[in-house]
Amino acid sequence: MATQAQAANTTTRTTSRRIRQGSFFNQTLPFWLLLPTLLIIAAIQFYPGFYSIWLSFQERQGAVWNFVGLRNFERMFGSAAFRESVGHTAVFLIGYIVVTMAASLIIALLLNRKLKLGGVYISLIFIPWVIADVIAGLVFGLLVVPDYGLLSPILSNPTLFPPNGLSIPSDPAPRPWIQGFPFPPAPAMYYLILATSWRALPFVTLLILAALKTVPQEIVESARMDGASGAQVLRFITLPLILPTLVVALFNLMLGGMNGIGLVFTLTRGGPGTATEVLSFLLYTIGFGRLEFGRAAALSVFIAAINLALIMLTLRVSRTEERVA
Amino acid sequence: MSNQPLIPKRIAALLATFAALSLLAAACAPAAPAAPAAPAEQPAAPAQPAAPAEQPAAPTSEVKDFITWYQYDEKNEDPKSDERVGNEYLRKTIPLFNEAFKGKWRWVNQPQPFDKMATSLVAAVQAGGEVPDLMQASDASIIPFIKNGTVQDLTDWIKAQPWFADLDPSAVAACTGPDGRIYCVPVAMTPQIVFAWKDYFPDGYPKTPEEFKQAAEALKAKGVAAITYFGSTAFDGEGTPRFTNTLIKSFGGTFDDGQGNMKLNTPENVAAIEFLREIIAAGYVHPRTWDGTTTPFIEEEPMKTAEAASFPTGIFGYRYVNPLKAPSGKEYNKGNEEDMLDAITAGDVIIAPFFAPAGKKPGCGTGVTGFVIPTGAKNVEAAYDYINWVMSKEQNPDWVLGPGGGFPALRSMLPEIEARAPVAKAFYEQAAAAVAASECRPWYGTLERRDEAKKIIQSVVYKLTKEDPTADIAATLKAAEEEYNKGN
Repeated sequence: MATQAQAANTTTRTTSRRIRQGSFFNQTLPFWLLLPTLLIIAAIQFYPGFYSIWLSFQERQGAVWNFVGLRNFERMFGSAAFRESVGHTAVFLIGYIVVTMAASLIIALLLNRKLKLGGVYISLIFIPWVIADVIAGLVFGLLVVPDYGLLSPILSNPTLFPPNGLSIPSDPAPRPWIQGFPFPPAPAMYYLILATSWRALPFVTLLILAALKTVPQEIVESARMDGASGAQVLRFITLPLILPTLVVALFNLMLGGMNGIGLVFTLTRGGPGTATEVLSFLLYTIGFGRLEFGRAAALSVFIAAINLALIMLTLRVSRTEERVA
Repeated sequence: MSNQPLIPKRIAALLATFAALSLLAAACAPAAPAAPAAPAEQPAAPAQPAAPAEQPAAPTSEVKDFITWYQYDEKNEDPKSDERVGNEYLRKTIPLFNEAFKGKWRWVNQPQPFDKMATSLVAAVQAGGEVPDLMQASDASIIPFIKNGTVQDLTDWIKAQPWFADLDPSAVAACTGPDGRIYCVPVAMTPQIVFAWKDYFPDGYPKTPEEFKQAAEALKAKGVAAITYFGSTAFDGEGTPRFTNTLIKSFGGTFDDGQGNMKLNTPENVAAIEFLREIIAAGYVHPRTWDGTTTPFIEEEPMKTAEAASFPTGIFGYRYVNPLKAPSGKEYNKGNEEDMLDAITAGDVIIAPFFAPAGKKPGCGTGVTGFVIPTGAKNVEAAYDYINWVMSKEQNPDWVLGPGGGFPALRSMLPEIEARAPVAKAFYEQAAAAVAASECRPWYGTLERRDEAKKIIQSVVYKLTKEDPTADIAATLKAAEEEYNKGN
């Protein structure tokens, strides 16, 4: 009996140990499965991120980095080029988001109707999305080259654009309404906004279109039977229901607008003068043009902080909107 | 049994961890050499253009790759390429070098975009990655290179070379850092001059601003702009070392106070900008002057078609400003550097110094192009051999005429070049006279943050002349210099 009891005890201990072991792996399995992704994210996002923060307090002197405290930030905030660039970024971002969201919403609403050849339109709309920024920038640039650009005869027409026609590459900005803030912008900024919006249009349109497809038609029909106009249906039913998608699109546009450089680089190179020198282009110039990596890192930290702030603000606003809706 | 997982969870977790660690290890491993380098033990590659097919391969264990970074690509045979002159030079000389150093070095060129070379080198050195043994560079990059520890101090070596005494002192000065050490080897000097259509200036290029305005008014009546220049802010203010410096210095102005501070608000600078405003308002400047941000170097176009009568730029402009159509309708359309040289020889184009107010000497920026040896270069001996080879009487003229695009830094080489390329004789004679009549100095003076400075200067000149021609010149210049000096 004693032997049997011993055997039973041993079996129980072994089983409970196995159970414990099993439960350890069961409990930690999600961690193990996530580990590869976490490590990759750490390697390609956290490490460079923290390195940039470290770099923003350094200055290169020969073969070594020297700690310079907040000097890079002081120089950044004290720089007129930086302040100008913030203004250009604000103008660009607002213009880009408003134009893209408005145009995408209109196109998506049109495509959501049962149109003949609807699939063809969607395919056509998608074309700008598959074209690289660099190619789009070069093509948009060629369109407005004075003398031989495709749009040159229209732009150089003094009747349409008095008194001497319009030169996108070189016409400066009008005198600003508020001293120190670059508004109204130069023609090149309008053109940059147009080109950037054209590139982003397909993605946002498809996002909104997909969201519109999920709006229950019975609710729309009920509202119409109750006498709601098209505008009222849009304002009180459609837009609230697709709000989460609009917020996602807004995130996308904000981050793309803040950080994108491809079109600026190939289309205007920050010019004419500094009329389209947005923060991302200034960052490129300081870091990869002047090779001042400490200053560039300080600017990149600032841009990252602005990105975070914009995201948090949008989330807060969208949550409030959702609650109201 | 059907519930049994195919791979036990523990093993799956371990595999996942292993995979992740492998990925990390792979990501952190040093990059593989970019050059198509054959292992030293392998026979010489049959593609080597230098090795005659019938000769046996050289003792392969001694042959080492010599890696260079040029802005030119010997494999690019496009006759319309903007860099066709340099591309052709490399195509011709790589086999010659490999033949000269057969069994010792094998030249492998890795082409780089001209506006990314410096950045790539700094990044490669700092990351501990593969760097070339030698890179083509200009004096404009020297300060950032020194600051980032990117290039080797060549002082002792260069001073020990037999050709050192023959180097133009201003070329050596351009390669010298603030610490008095020499960091680059100058091979060609690139002063700023004026290319002008002779038919538009039958009495020669104007010598004073007043003469210029007089000639410009007459040209305007014919529908011709008197001048086109690099007026945009493209390439981070590249117009500063070109036209802006020429103008300001010709009026007796300056960019610095001699102590490393920017000094723009001077009566001479103000006078220069007032003059520029005046000729722009009068319509003497071609509108393409400011379009370079969208279409780089478009300001050259009016000169090519004779819509503009003159074009102040670097001496290297002869390689790029082609094909040409003279005011008489005569065309020079080989589409290479010979177009400009032919037009000069034929007397259609003249080279002149810029004009200057009475009592002042025309200003002229100058720079050098040559070589640097990066920190961490593996084959410094090959780089030394290569530099000596390029500085030889046989090779130097080709480099100066090709990648250099200017005057030889070795003073004794000019007659050799003229003898080697008779088509360039008139060009060099006129260019030498223009430079002799000017005061040629590096544009930056004592300014150390040259890239930042050139953007600030070009932006302020653009603002005062194009963006807001009514703005207070002195106050705007003062604000611009303060912007720079804050960083001192």
